[in-house]
Amino acid sequence: MNKNKEKIPILENKTSRRNFIDFILGTALITWIATLVYPVLKFLVPPEDTIIYVNSVEAGTMTEFPPGSSKIIRFGRKPVIVIRKINGNFSALGATCTHLDCTVQFKTDTEQIWCACHNGLFDTKGKNISGPPPKPLPSYHVNLKDDKVIISLEDMV
Amino acid sequence: MSLWNWINERVDIKSAKNFAFKKKVPVFYGSIWYYLGGVSLFLFIIQVMTGILLILYYQPGSATAFESVKFIVSKVSYGWLIREVHAWSANLFVLFAFLHMFTVFFSKAYRKPREMTWYSGMILLVLALAFGFSGYLLPWNELAFFATKVGSDIAGAFPVVGDFLLRLLRAGDEVTGATLTRFYGIHIALLPAIFTMILGLHLALVQIQGMSIPPELERIPEKHRRYMPFFPDFAIRDALLWLIVLNIIALLAVFFPWELGTKADPLASAPAGIKPEWYFMFMFETLKLIPSHVMFIEGELFGVLLFTFGAIFWFLVPLLDRKAHRGERSRFWKVVGVVLILYMIMMTLWGYIQ
Amino acid sequence: MKVKIILSLFFTTVLFADISDENTCFDCHQLMDEDLEQNEKVFENILEDIHLQVGLSCTDCHGGNSKTDDEDEAMWDDPTFRGKISKIDQPEICGSCHSDPQYMRQFISSVKTDQVSQYWTSQHGKDLKKGVEKVAACTDCHGLHGIIKANDPRSKVYPLNLPTTCSSCHSDLEYMESFGIPTDQYYLYRSSIHGTSLLDEQHLSAPACNDCHGNHGALPPDVVHIGDICGSCHVNNNALFQKSHLNEIFLTRGIGQCEACHGNHGVKSPTDEYLNWEHGAVCVQCHQTGGLPKDLADYFYHSIDSLKGRIKLAQDLLHEAEQKGMEVSDLYFSVEESQKMLIQSRTNIHSFNKEFISKTAEAGFKSADQAIEGASAALFEFNDRRKWLFLSSLIITILATTVYFKIRDLDRRDLRKNKTKGEEDD
Repeated sequence: MNKNKEKIPILENKTSRRNFIDFILGTALITWIATLVYPVLKFLVPPEDTIIYVNSVEAGTMTEFPPGSSKIIRFGRKPVIVIRKINGNFSALGATCTHLDCTVQFKTDTEQIWCACHNGLFDTKGKNISGPPPKPLPSYHVNLKDDKVIISLEDMV
Repeated sequence: MSLWNWINERVDIKSAKNFAFKKKVPVFYGSIWYYLGGVSLFLFIIQVMTGILLILYYQPGSATAFESVKFIVSKVSYGWLIREVHAWSANLFVLFAFLHMFTVFFSKAYRKPREMTWYSGMILLVLALAFGFSGYLLPWNELAFFATKVGSDIAGAFPVVGDFLLRLLRAGDEVTGATLTRFYGIHIALLPAIFTMILGLHLALVQIQGMSIPPELERIPEKHRRYMPFFPDFAIRDALLWLIVLNIIALLAVFFPWELGTKADPLASAPAGIKPEWYFMFMFETLKLIPSHVMFIEGELFGVLLFTFGAIFWFLVPLLDRKAHRGERSRFWKVVGVVLILYMIMMTLWGYIQ
Repeated sequence: MKVKIILSLFFTTVLFADISDENTCFDCHQLMDEDLEQNEKVFENILEDIHLQVGLSCTDCHGGNSKTDDEDEAMWDDPTFRGKISKIDQPEICGSCHSDPQYMRQFISSVKTDQVSQYWTSQHGKDLKKGVEKVAACTDCHGLHGIIKANDPRSKVYPLNLPTTCSSCHSDLEYMESFGIPTDQYYLYRSSIHGTSLLDEQHLSAPACNDCHGNHGALPPDVVHIGDICGSCHVNNNALFQKSHLNEIFLTRGIGQCEACHGNHGVKSPTDEYLNWEHGAVCVQCHQTGGLPKDLADYFYHSIDSLKGRIKLAQDLLHEAEQKGMEVSDLYFSVEESQKMLIQSRTNIHSFNKEFISKTAEAGFKSADQAIEGASAALFEFNDRRKWLFLSSLIITILATTVYFKIRDLDRRDLRKNKTKGEEDD
């Protein structure tokens, strides 16, 4: 029993040193775990889509658009619907419905643009004429060069 | 009441803990090799974790695979890091598995009573190579495409079952998007399931039977042998080593990233200097050395049979090494091991020097 | 010499044996070929002649009777015999078939039959009518007895050969002296962008002499309205220019559209320096004093020059990022987009309208800036990764070191435990 008591002062030094090491160990461990967890959490969050600024896209040739037909093309990252009416005139509008983002389609019989999701209707100029869509569809310019149909943001040349 | 006690009142975990804490590791000149198994396990765990993260963004399919990897590497936050760690850790995993196997071989740990540990370990090694082969195709780049083509061609060289095996592997006659889908399923579902089961067996055997010591040390009486308790002493040393390995992987990920490559085009011709991954290189170079006909057997078939029988021979070492069975050293097996290692290293280097 | 005659007779007779049966003209005129000058020889290339190949023969142009051996019957006494056709008669004689749509249709369904009527409107035709025999008529360009189709690469009027054909007269100083027109056209054309494009790079779509001057109706174009000629290929440039305020001025003052700044035969590929006021911009030819025209030119030059610079910066940064192993291939689309805008801006100069140019220039800048931003982000990320690696390595090292000390501490504790245990056992 005496021997144990004699050892106490030495034990005390060792204890404080041990506590110190344990403390550093704990802190370093937590920091290290944080450096592991942080990248994993950031990884899980999906990235923003970068938009490549596009000015014009070739939609096809005139022969690919008989009167009363339509086609959806990719303009940068957005869909655009290109319409050729029965009277031969072209029209190009953004194909994302302004209600809840469904992709619209062209109805040849009524010459209107219809959204299948909630029965929204637009005219060939893009104006919202019926149903839930609150805003008109954005319009694009149609340029006819030789035989090609080119959709652009503005009249460039 | 502590959580421990709450669980212990319902399920006897105290006995399990006591059993675990009984584990001790022999301390002698060769103790350092004990770490290799643990490092392999650590690398496997890293593979599973990074693999699961990659699954969240990867899209298999000939039109989307390459693009999705490109997306991960360039657009996803730390996507590059997860991908690079997965790629490097895969290679290190195969390396350490081989090292672990060879240290076990030279220390004759496969002798009775640990034959099953050796058998399960060999299966794990083959599964690791399968993981490597199937995973390599997934980025769907040029190198991967042709490596898979050549590799599966060799499978077709097997007698009788060759053609069937090739079609089974490729999900068709050629390497296509269907092959990619099949390899993806094999890589993320089939292999992990089988691997985990056999790994469980392997680890359980090690826990139950304890660590093996070389035959000559068995002559030392028990009370003169030195041991280190696994918890906390060996475990904390293990943790230190794992930490260092992790840091090395991080360094490799930043300074030696794996290339994206060019997208696979089945119609394009094979690029010059096409070669398989390093862990298959020695087999590849050996096959190249074999002449077109050895006696009456076709060269490729001969090579395939050579490796198959070689693997079976190696698998059966516990059965064949009668001396180890008796607890004696065997010069013959030592030489076999050394020759094999030297051969593998030389053929691998040879493949790269060309 | 005798051997030569016998041999040539032998070969030509063998070759022409077929035709000679039906055509007695060959019998004598073959022999006569020996005495003729090289460029007057009849039988040199006659087998390739397109007329011969479609079944026509000597009599269809020269008249006479090719079935008889008798000279008088064949030629002099035959009422249809024309003999050697004079230059002034050429157009009408060739035209007797070539201007007849009904006749020509059997050979080519979509046939042109306006060659002769066009010819008479040309300078060559007008001069020929006045009796000037020096000018070109049908055979001077198309050949005489070995006429090949114009779209055959061996033809004298095939685009690759045409400039040389025209220049054989038009570059001859002595020959052209009486006409009083320059003779440097071919020399200028040869080093022009059209000349090098057609004759060196073999781009058949590049213009030869006939594309601007017309072929049968060859005339120098109306200088002041030259825009429509150039505009037949350079559509946008012409359209924009004719809408611009400069067009009126050019027309009323008789200044050649296009030609005033770009030249005619010697037109070179224009550079952006055409707008650089200090280094001889083309505008200075009229606008010596500067003022508003100079401001406009400076604006154009500055827009295009700085857009070029921005694109170059984008390309350099992207290249650097790629070299460092960063994934930036998508950004090349932005660079392509801005290069497209650069080309359009250069075309839009011809509107001489500030707002019009600024639209495409702005779009170009936007795309280039996108690429620059992306590339810069990639380069920043590259450095960032190394920075964070250093930091995390530091954390790991600290942790590892602490773990190491912990190990030592544990070992010491174990040793003491074993010691005290041993002591107690004692």
